[in-house]
Formats: sequence, C-alpha cells, structure tokens
Amino acid sequence: MAKLIGLDKLANYFRVIKHNGGILGSIKTLLRTDDLKFGTLVGVDKLGNKYFENNLYFYGRNRWVVYHEKFGLNYDGSLVPSEWYGWLHYKTDYLPHEDPGRPKHKWMIQDWSENLSGSDKQYVPYGTTRTKVEGWTPPK
Amino acid sequence: MLALRPFNLAKAAQNICIRSLSTPAPSSSKQADPNAAVEIDTNAPIRRDSYSPFKVPAKDNMFEFTLARLDDVLNWGRKNSIWPLTFGLACCAVEMMHIAAPRYDMDRYGVVFRASPRQADVIIVAGTLTNKWRSFKKRYDQMLEPRWVISMGSCANGGGYYHYSYSVVRGCDRIIPVDIYVPGCPPTAEALMYGILQLQKKVKRMKTLQSWYRR
Amino acid sequence: MLRGPLTKALPCARILSPVKTLSTSAINNEKFEVFIDDKKVMVDPGTTVLQAAAMVGVEIPRFCYHERLSVAGNCRMCLVEVEKSAKPVAACAMPVMKGWRVKTNSEMTRRAREGVMEFLLVNHPLDCPICDQGGECDLQDQSMAFGSDRSRFTDIDHSGKRAVEDKDIGPLVKTIMTRCIHCTRCIRFASEVAGVDDLGTTGRGSDMQVGTYVEKLFLSELSGNVIDLCPVGALTSKPYSFTARPWETRKTESVDVLDAVGSNIIVSTRTGEVLRILPRLNEDINEEWLADKGRFAYDGLKRQRLLTPFVRNCQGQLIATEWEDALIAVAQKLQTSEIAGVVGSLADAESMVALKDLLNRLGSEDLYTEYPFPLEGSGTDLRSSYLLNNKIARVEDADLVLLIGTNPRFEAPLFNARLRKGYLTNELDVGYIGPKVDLRYDYEHLGESTDLIKQLASGSHAFSKKLACAKKPLIVVGADLLSRPDGAAILALVQQLAAKVTTDANVSSEWKVLNVLQKAASQVAALDLGYKPGTASIRDKKPKVLFLLGSDEGTISRGDVGQDCFIIYQGHHGDHGASIADAILPGAAYTEKQGTYVNTEGRAQQTLTAVSPPGLAREDWKIIRALSEIIGEKLPYDTLLEIRDRLGQVAPHLIRYGELEEANYAEQATELAKGVSSNLSSEPVDVKQKNLEDYYMTDPVSRASGTMAKCIQAVHKQKQSKYYEEAVN
Repeated sequence: MAKLIGLDKLANYFRVIKHNGGILGSIKTLLRTDDLKFGTLVGVDKLGNKYFENNLYFYGRNRWVVYHEKFGLNYDGSLVPSEWYGWLHYKTDYLPHEDPGRPKHKWMIQDWSENLSGSDKQYVPYGTTRTKVEGWTPPK
Repeated sequence: MLALRPFNLAKAAQNICIRSLSTPAPSSSKQADPNAAVEIDTNAPIRRDSYSPFKVPAKDNMFEFTLARLDDVLNWGRKNSIWPLTFGLACCAVEMMHIAAPRYDMDRYGVVFRASPRQADVIIVAGTLTNKWRSFKKRYDQMLEPRWVISMGSCANGGGYYHYSYSVVRGCDRIIPVDIYVPGCPPTAEALMYGILQLQKKVKRMKTLQSWYRR
Repeated sequence: MLRGPLTKALPCARILSPVKTLSTSAINNEKFEVFIDDKKVMVDPGTTVLQAAAMVGVEIPRFCYHERLSVAGNCRMCLVEVEKSAKPVAACAMPVMKGWRVKTNSEMTRRAREGVMEFLLVNHPLDCPICDQGGECDLQDQSMAFGSDRSRFTDIDHSGKRAVEDKDIGPLVKTIMTRCIHCTRCIRFASEVAGVDDLGTTGRGSDMQVGTYVEKLFLSELSGNVIDLCPVGALTSKPYSFTARPWETRKTESVDVLDAVGSNIIVSTRTGEVLRILPRLNEDINEEWLADKGRFAYDGLKRQRLLTPFVRNCQGQLIATEWEDALIAVAQKLQTSEIAGVVGSLADAESMVALKDLLNRLGSEDLYTEYPFPLEGSGTDLRSSYLLNNKIARVEDADLVLLIGTNPRFEAPLFNARLRKGYLTNELDVGYIGPKVDLRYDYEHLGESTDLIKQLASGSHAFSKKLACAKKPLIVVGADLLSRPDGAAILALVQQLAAKVTTDANVSSEWKVLNVLQKAASQVAALDLGYKPGTASIRDKKPKVLFLLGSDEGTISRGDVGQDCFIIYQGHHGDHGASIADAILPGAAYTEKQGTYVNTEGRAQQTLTAVSPPGLAREDWKIIRALSEIIGEKLPYDTLLEIRDRLGQVAPHLIRYGELEEANYAEQATELAKGVSSNLSSEPVDVKQKNLEDYYMTDPVSRASGTMAKCIQAVHKQKQSKYYEEAVN
C-alpha cells in the first residue's frame, strides 16, 4: 500500500539525505559528485575511495565509487585501482577480497600515480628518427 | 538496511581489513591480499586538493589574487562547456559516438557536439588522417580562440597502423597543434572521456588574465 | 685525343666555319629561306632542321641530340617529314636546304615518332614507379606526348625484354643499364666535355650496351653531369637515389661557393633538408654543367655542423650555451682594440663588411683573408691584379693560353671545361708552367722553373714566339703561386709578360691577357672590401682577440697567437677553426643564407635561402650585428637591404647581381709592379691539387661530406685496378 502511493520513494528520499549526512552534507555531495544516492558501503580501497552498492537502482547505476575527500574536485576514473575496476565495471560480481580465483600479477598491485601531463614532470616521448643535421661535438 | 546505519568510515575500513585478513581466500596462495595490506590512516586530517591551480596567497598581492580568482571563474566556465566538432574520420569515430551515448553521457560535462567549427571549442581528430584531409587545417582555422585539439587513436597520434602508407599524414600534430593525445586503437570511449577530463584539467590551468597582466 | 673528327661532327654554325661538303649554298654565307610547318624562316647555311625549327618555336622531340654535344643521330626520335622526300629525315643531323618545306606535325611525322617510340619502349622496362628519373624523364614525357595511345605489347610472360647487367661506375653515378635507350649522350659528354674516354658502346643491335668496356670506374671531376644528360633513368644520382620526386621538392636558385667559379645552381629541398643540387643554366659561367664537388658535397652540410654557441669554460672545455651567454662572453673580450679578423673561403660579403665595420669601430684595422696575395706594387688596390679579367666565357675564344702554377682541372673544373672546349673547337694551344698534371687535353709543358716566366717576359724562350704570333693569347696565373713569399716578384713578372704579349700580339683593348684564377669563393669580395690578404702579420702582432669568420684552412693556429689570445670562431662547420676557438658562434652555410659572393672574374652573385640554418645557427651578418649591439658599437643596419646599401657604399659592384664589373687599370698595375724589389726564388712552380683525389676535399663542407670521402676511396680503388694506367700527356 505504501508502495502504491509512493511512500517508499519518500522514504528513500530521506534515506539519501541521511546517508549523505543531512541537508548540508547532501548539498556538499551534490556539488562534488552531481549525484545523490544511498547504498551499502562494500569496501574501501588503498586510496580511501569508498565503493557502494544499492540494487535498488537500475543495473549500471547500482555500483558506484565516492572518491576520498582529499581529492576534492580533482578526481577522475584513474583513481580506481585495478582490483576494484572489475567489480565497478560489472566484469565480476566478486569483491576484490572475496574473489578466490583472482590472478595476482605484479602490475596489479602497483600504486596509483598522478597523471603528470601538463606539469614539468610530464612524460615526453623520445624520438627515434635520425636528426637531419648532425652536430659537431667539441673534442674532449 | 545497512545503509541506514550511522556511517563510520573508520569502522567500515577496519571491518574490511579484518574481514579479509580473517577469511583468506581458500584456493589462492598465501600471498597477502593487496587490499589487506592497505592501512588507511583515518586519524590524519584530510587535506583537500584546492580547486584552483593558482596558488596566489591573498595577503601577498591582492591584485594578483583577484586576477587568479577571475581566471578561475573564466576557466570554470570554459572547462564545463567544451564543445567538440563532429570530426569522425574512421573507426575511432564510433568510440567517439559512444561518449555521447547514455552510458558515458558526455553531456554531463557540458560536452556537446557541434556541426560547425565556428561553434566548436575543441576538435577531436578521431581516426586516420589521410593526405586528402590535410585541408582540415581550414576547419581548425575557422574555430574561435580559445580552441583545443584532442588527437584520438594511434592514427591521429602518429599515423598508427597506416604510418607507412603513401596517403596518410603521420600524425595530425604535423598540421595542427595537439593538446591531448589519447592512445589506443581505437581508444575506448572511457579513454576518450578521460582525455576530455584531462583537457578540462588543462583548461583549468589557463592563465588568461594573469598572463595578460604580466604582459 | 679526338680533335680532328670531332671538329667536323659539331654542328654549331656559330662556332664552326661552314663545312664545305654540305651543299653548294653553304659556300656563300648568305641566308636562305626554309619553311617549317609553312612558317618561313631565314637560316644560315649548315643549320640543321632541328635548329631551324627551334627558330620558329617548333620543338622537335629528341633523345640523343644535345646542344652542347656532337650530333649522333641515332635515336631517330626527331624524324620529320620533308616535302618531296620519300622517307622522313632525322632533324638533328640533316642540314636544311634552300626552300625545304618541313612538316613537323604531319601524319607521316607522327607515325614515324610513334614507331620510334614503340621500338624504344619494346626494350625499356616499365619500372617508372621505382625509377628515380620518374617525373623528370624525357622518355616518360615524350611517350605521353608523341607515343602511341595503345600498346601492342603482348609478351605477358615477360620472356623477351632486354635485360642488361648494371655497371659499377663510381660512388656518384648509379646505373640501371636495362633502362638505357642508347642515346650515347653520356659517352659523348665523357669524351668531349670531360675528356675521359672511358665510356663507350659494345655490341650491336639489341645486344648493344653502354659501358666502360672493362671493369672500371667513371671518375672525372665532371661526372655528375651525365646524370642530367641521361634522358631516361639509366644514369641516376647515387647519393640522391630513392630520396624524393621532383614535384615534391622546392627549388631555390643559388650559387655554388665551393670553388671560385661561382657556378649557378638550383638547390632542391624538402622539409628543411637539402636533397640535391643541380646546375642552373648560365652561359657566362657554367653553361649547364656543374662540377662534382658543388653537386655532391651537399651532404657535408648535414654533418659536423655547429648547432649551438660554445664557450670554453674554466676547465678548458667547450660548453654549449645559449646565444645570450655566448654573445655576452664574446662581447666582454672584445672591449679592446687589439683584435684581428680573418675571413675564410666561404664567407659572404655581407658578413665580411659587418665584421670589418665592427672591428674598425673598435679601433682595429687588422682584417685579413686566409689566402695570401702579394701586397707589393699595386697590391690589391687595383682589381686587375687579382681577377680573371678576360671573363670565363671568353676563354674558349682564345687561341693560345699559358697556364702558370695552376691546375684548372681541379681548382676550377668548369673553367677547364671551357679550355677544353676551346681546344676541341677553336684550335686552342696551351702552354703550361708547373708540375706535370693531367688536364685532359694536350698542352706544351714548358717546365717547372720560375725562370721560365723571366725568359718569357724577356722574349728569350721559344714559346715567346708563339705568344707573339697569337691573335688572342691568355695568361692564367694560379692564386696559389702568388701566395708564395716571392709572389710579388712573380706577379710583377707576369704583369710585364702580359704587357709585352699585349703589345707584341697587338690584341684589342677588349682582350685582357692577364688573368688570375682564384680558388676561394670569398677572396675577390674580401679584397674588394679592403681586407688585407694573408695572415702573416697576425703572427707578428699577436692580437689579444682573434675573430675567425669561417677560416678553416689552418693558415693560423693556436701557436701563432699564443695561449692568452681569445679566439672567436664564427662559421658553420666544426673544422680547424672551431677546434682552436675559445668561443664559437654558429653561422649559416651558403644554402641557408642570402649572401653575396663574387666569383673569380669579378661577377657579384647572390645565394638564396633554401633551408633555414640548423639548430641555433643564425645568418652570419646578423650575429655580428647582434654582437655589435652588446658591445655598444651598434652597427647601423638592421635588414638585409640596409646592409646591402652599406655594401654598395664600400664597393658598388657588389650589389649589382649577375653583372660583371671589369677591372680597367691593368696598365697602371703594370707600372706600379715595376717598383717591386723582391727577388724570384728558385723554388719550382707547384700546384697543390695534382691528382683527382686532391680535388674532392678542399673546404669545410666537402671535408665533412661522406660522398666526397667515398669519391677519394674510389680513386684509390681505381689505382689498384689492373686496367688503371697513369695518364701521361
């Protein structure tokens, strides 16, 4: 009956606000993520990003990540470590620590590093083409 | 409902650590789970990255501080309405279309395809740039400043598979200046999305007013 | 060597007296009329159909015919119909007769061409896509224009096409002999212009092959020209092979500076890189030939280059720096008047005038060229003493040439080609004083002693009679000979000799007997600008600062100026000059700047910018201009036009490009030379470049060139060949 008149929607609405820490917290979350959801915290990765699941939402939106607060607004998808990637993208339904057959390669446990493009430490590819003009080097 | 429980990060994190430690995966070796090794120092005060890339303290120079904030506003506007030109050349174009589709939904970043270079801010060179397409420099010239270029896929980055072809430009950066290179053959829509976010990051660092004042 | 028969073979009516056997009308030198495509044209007797057609602007296709070579008439491409003649005639070899009506566009002519073209293509490979001649191939063009529009070639099994083994004829010319159509242009060039009878044909009919008879390299200082002459892709350039298509390249008209002839060249570039150098037609200087050094040494422009400024640090090590640091370091040292400047062989007039102005403003007058020249007598004040006064082109009119202490074959190959042309067509006799060298034509070797000049001047030598009888005698003195300590005495003697010959032979005032053959491209311009020749006085003066502007010949070394001297080198190659320098300013090579050069006959020409200077290198005069501003003695020119105005103030002829400024004070120079007191030494007359291997590497560009190094190796290899024989005259 409550479902019929949409009371569950209202209940969820309050759950969302509660989940995000009240009205002020909800506004803050909305500012940061453009989205308000509630769900179960299923895990936290080594960077402190929190992973949620709520099957109330439609498939595709029922798993999400909330990045650690220290990233502020400067977050992007590269912050998701490789062990969480599969769960978040529905490649697997196992959580990383619950997955028995998960392979463990060296490259999988490397730490996250910032994309340094645009800074002075950015990666610059070296050329393999021969220079058109060969310079003179002074004799030692 | 679990989610209704008062949320405690520290507890949750402990839970996870403990859980994974106490129940090791049955079939796997005795290697420590990568997650298990993680200890999050939850007591440390959270230091947020500030939004602005310009670290100009107000007390040093009020004027420069003002300019930096004005730049922030300007860049905020620019980075949230990056309009790309529809410029699909080959298979990369299909991936480029995907970012417009609901799953990646580029509209949420204010990225909207425009069909005219005069309305576009960024040109996504998506695909093999053949010699016949060299005239697309004209399209670039028609775009209004500030304008950016995203080179998508190996072909646009450096000729790629067709590098040794007689009819292909070995990288679109031989013709127009590229801001973001997205690797892949073709890059996934996600990779392109990431490229657009990187461009946003770049836009955020633009010093329009500050460099004008410096001059 | 071939002298008699060739004279008859040459068709040029201008050069030759009419050959009597041709026709009755040829005896009286009256013009008569012929009709080319019903257009009337008045021609001299002896004119060929092809030449007559060219007069009315009708171009007849040809492969074997070439204006500067003898007529072979073997390709048959130039067949045209002549009215009332049953068969078509070969236009290149047939002299026109009075009243002939030639039809160059008739059905018969067209079918004749189609037939010839079909025969040529029967045995020509269809490898245009991988052929280096593609795009500039006469066969391609003419088969499009005159060939049949359909093929009758049915040999799809590829069983019958002629295939010929490729020959190795040296490091410069690549041969793909299957493509050869037997026009024999290369053979005629080698024997007539280059004077090397190495190329020839063997076999007959479809077995005919062009080659060197025996396994042998085609080594000549003019060998590169056969590449231009070859109408197909049989002879192509080895260093340029598979590099570019002609339509991709940008062509810049420039001037060669690797010898003092100043040959006109076209620099082909693509994406900021010099790909090849081709000759440019200039009848007054190089006709359409180019010497191998000028043509192939361009890869030296890409090696051993100075890309950044260098300054020597306190450990004595040259360190790459930015321009600002280097200019400031140099400017600090230049705050003195004890400066000397030395210009090298490749310096342009703009940078030389800028350097002279700068050093003069700093209070120094010590500006020198690398190559010495006698200063006694008129010295370098009168241009007639150091110019090739009689012009390069008029050499072929001479009937007697006396070469003293010069080997024109290697010092100025195209000048030597002119001499050889005169020898072949104009009954030119050559006398020679100096070591026995191979000039590729016969000469009368007078000896090596300097006394010979004295004897000739006094008229006691047997050759004096010949000189006196000659109608157009020339005396050519090498610049090397005059750089000897007794150069002044030699020059004075030669001037006397020239004056005596002028009066004895009663030559017209237009004809200049005395000629000096320079070796360095910058020398004439430097002397015109008032540089002092020779670096000897630097050794005495021991300046505090030495400014080397591209001087790399090693005429001055660190030991000459002492360890305290600060040496600045400005130039484009890391050669001798850079190795002794304390500061290096990278300049531009001749393909990278717009510069003025004056050739040995006194003709000002300019190079144009084909590519931009590499790395941080800049145009030379701009570097000196920038340096002057930092020193605080700002030179008053900012643009090329302004510095050329300044050039014009110093020497107006330097900016009259393409024009020859004659020297007119030869008599006064002779008068002044009488006061020369120094004595002739008994040292025999010598030349520096005696053999072909001495030719290839003479300046920083050719020394850095890998192609030139290969040429020298090839010459050494040739010497070990069992077919090699020492050329003896």
